[in-house]
Amino acid sequence: MRARAHLVVALDPNGRTVVRDMRSMAPLRLVTRRRPDDEVALVHLVSAVTAPLGGDDLELRVTVEEGASLELRGVAATLALPGQHPGGSRALVDVELADGATLAYLPEPTVVTARACHDTVFRARMGEGARLRARDVIVLGRSNERSGTLTTTLDVRRAGPVIKQTSRLGTPEVDASPAGLAGRRVFGTELLCWDDDLPGAVSEDWWSLVPLARGGSLSTAVAHDAVTVERALDEARSRHPGSSGSLTRSRTRFRGAGHTESHGSGGGHHRAGGFAVGGKPVRSLDR
Amino acid sequence: MNLVALMVADSRFPGGGHVHSGGLEEAVARRLVTDEASLASFLIGRLRTAGALGAVFAAAATRGRYEELDAELDARTPSPAQRHASRVQGRGIARAARKAWPSAALTELLRVTPRPHHPVIVGVLVGEPFEAAQAVAYHSVTGPATGAIRLLGLDPFGVNAALARLATEIDAVAGMAAEHADTPPEDLPAPSAPGLDLLAEAHDRHHSEEVRLFVS
Repeated sequence: MRARAHLVVALDPNGRTVVRDMRSMAPLRLVTRRRPDDEVALVHLVSAVTAPLGGDDLELRVTVEEGASLELRGVAATLALPGQHPGGSRALVDVELADGATLAYLPEPTVVTARACHDTVFRARMGEGARLRARDVIVLGRSNERSGTLTTTLDVRRAGPVIKQTSRLGTPEVDASPAGLAGRRVFGTELLCWDDDLPGAVSEDWWSLVPLARGGSLSTAVAHDAVTVERALDEARSRHPGSSGSLTRSRTRFRGAGHTESHGSGGGHHRAGGFAVGGKPVRSLDR
Repeated sequence: MNLVALMVADSRFPGGGHVHSGGLEEAVARRLVTDEASLASFLIGRLRTAGALGAVFAAAATRGRYEELDAELDARTPSPAQRHASRVQGRGIARAARKAWPSAALTELLRVTPRPHHPVIVGVLVGEPFEAAQAVAYHSVTGPATGAIRLLGLDPFGVNAALARLATEIDAVAGMAAEHADTPPEDLPAPSAPGLDLLAEAHDRHHSEEVRLFVS
């Protein structure tokens, strides 16, 4: 099955984010949930049929226009399944965040069933002062099931690379290795490009929240079950300075294109906002 | 084999690599690595993740583009402790290389990145994609392997044999990396190592609280 879906949200004159354009295509079904008096657009991604199956090729393009705020959520776990067709399945979520745009992308976990071969990519390009929270939780196999293989790529740029990493899961040697998943079957990450970052890492044995070299933070967790990973990601996020921030921002907080933020000088926090102007590469904040 | 590659991969090379265990010390402290079998599991995982990433950047660095490679490798190294370990080792090699192998390429690298990442400077010095990648892939497992002898008192002959058994895998990683030598930096592969990232941060935390043998 080949599906192309898209979603465009924009700010209306009253400061509310509205869906400007939306196209679902099975199995990618988008459902808007308008909450009263909420300035944020809430859209659920509902899988209309069982997917992804081997041979599926799914793409969702999301555009959040200047200053708009979108929360895109899953409703149920995704089951990656083998199919009749060779070559595995692929799913791409491709996001464009304009200046000052905000996206929280919170899908439910992906479960990799036996013999599945799935390739998933989350790609985002961020404008100045844009904010992004993106969670990814992978479960290797249903209980007592040997999992298939999955590669998951997180690729985010904002005037230069923020993060790029591909995790190849379901290879027994690496899953078992302390360098890989150390024998755990659930792996989660959450990217937070949300204004300031902590100057240093916070970690426990099986999770960490780390500041990236050029702004943004990543939390990583591994565990034997999804509940533990999700709790660890929640705990990591609670340590991040942006955790209390709501999805909307005051209009004064986003200062628009052309404004240069100073960084490295204040408050003990990394400045993670859009401090690069005109596509100039962002310098490493590492000391 | 290229003599420069042999020298930078040699444990007696004065680049400061001997103080890094590549996460092995923390894995030993948590009893994740206790014997030759669990060491072999650690090494194969490290080679295919951090080893492959380093190999890719070593091969790519033979083609210049140092500033872009520096930013792209940063983006593929989420753990600040790992970024630090890579740059400290890169700077150690730079100190030795300025005397041993001065060149226009090295001068340019150190001009744009005074503290280069380890795989990038190795790529610049070795100059040939496969051999640069092979040296870095090999280096990604020798540090932890010799660390295991010191930390666990494992039989040096057994550990040496475990390294020798990785030969085919090391060459496969180097071959994959060499194929990407001309790939644009932003499209280079980005294999993650979640376990190593967690071990590196935990090591860093413990290193400040108690005496550890290795820096990373």
